[in-house]
Amino acid sequence: MTDTLKSICDQCVHLKNPQLDFIPSDFARHREILTRDLRELTSAAACENEKTVVILAGGILEGILYSFIQGQSAYISERRGTFEFKPDHSLQNYLNIFNRWLNHLVPSVVLPDSVVYYRDLVHINHEINSQPGVCTGASREMLRILDALLGGLSELVVPVYPEILR
Amino acid sequence: MPRSDGLSPFQCSKIDNMADVARLNLSEKGAEARLRSLMEDVIEFHKGVYPQSRLALAVWFGGSDGSVQNLLELYSGLPGQGSFTDPVRFSLLWKTGSQNPPFVEVSAGSVEYFLQLLASGDQAVRRFFHKPDVLYFDKELLSDPILKSFNIVTEPPGLLKGWYVDADQAKARTVRDLLSSWGGSKPQLGLVKTWESPDFENCRGLIHFEINQRWLPLSLAGLRNFTFFNDLQAGKPGFFLFRGGSFYQPLKFEEKTEPAYSNLVLQRSSDDRYPEVYLRSVRPSEKPAA
Repeated sequence: MTDTLKSICDQCVHLKNPQLDFIPSDFARHREILTRDLRELTSAAACENEKTVVILAGGILEGILYSFIQGQSAYISERRGTFEFKPDHSLQNYLNIFNRWLNHLVPSVVLPDSVVYYRDLVHINHEINSQPGVCTGASREMLRILDALLGGLSELVVPVYPEILR
Repeated sequence: MPRSDGLSPFQCSKIDNMADVARLNLSEKGAEARLRSLMEDVIEFHKGVYPQSRLALAVWFGGSDGSVQNLLELYSGLPGQGSFTDPVRFSLLWKTGSQNPPFVEVSAGSVEYFLQLLASGDQAVRRFFHKPDVLYFDKELLSDPILKSFNIVTEPPGLLKGWYVDADQAKARTVRDLLSSWGGSKPQLGLVKTWESPDFENCRGLIHFEINQRWLPLSLAGLRNFTFFNDLQAGKPGFFLFRGGSFYQPLKFEEKTEPAYSNLVLQRSSDDRYPEVYLRSVRPSEKPAA
């Protein structure tokens, strides 16, 4: 028997106490949405709701990448030559951008293509064509990957408030 | 004090340092990097240009010299495409409404048509192989001949692809049963063997995952996110089932410094450290949970 979702969640300190300082302060709505979704994710995990965890974790992962990439557009542009953030990109696109242009900042974080596959389990046809019990493994991996991503990003950014600089 | 450089309003030493490094690189190869990003922007736009078909391959060919860049685009499922479109030329600064250089000339066609030309050895495709630089590909939409012809390598030699099956899932089922249930689904993980005993009872290898369409080995930190690793650490039995019917029980992971392993993988570890998994073969007739 693999670990329960609740026991994994209990070990995921960044999921339980998320530090979203990597999201620019003018993205208040982004933070609000992610904070709410993370709260709902831990509730779903506590109830051992595997499918809910897979789908919600996929949505949160997309939200984190969306916010982080959008916030670091200028940095990516500096490295790449040009960069324009596209708010309607797919999760796969955000993943590619993160892995190619930002992953070196948080090398301990691995975002495999399987997270997109798992998020797409929202479509019943996708789940029918997957191996039996796919949500059991996917839910556990998604929780751990999300926790590692939040942990990596929280170490990356140290907020400096204007009052301190004055 | 608000930042004036457009970056996020946080002090972020790592990002600032990396930006300095990036600036140095850009000064050396700035022009080509900028051309590349402009070409990639065109490709990004073209991904959604046809509602019924998908962009499968984009190749910058002919080198970056001159004011006109050449781009080959192949689309999957493009109906009625028995030829390439007439090359379309436009400014790479099209987003700003500019008509000035640099220009790009796009030759577009279908994957199926390109495959036919390749198979027949048609000279018409030769120009696409002059200094080709693959800027985008979707391997699900491309067949092996095209991938090989442009030297697109997405997996290391000898990669076995398969799935993790925990003890509950394997309970009272033969390998054949498991393969019939798992075999039709997308593989979760890969294994490149680094050693195998003469009797094939035991082997060691590197676990791989697909990242940006390429099968790459994971670091020990990366493995910690996966159920098979945590199950093993907790002493819970589990198995790796591979296409073709190989069935292994992982015994342990051991991180090693092995520079020679860089020859077995597509992306070398920066410190030559690789987590190696030790596996015991489970015979097809053996009930896995027994």
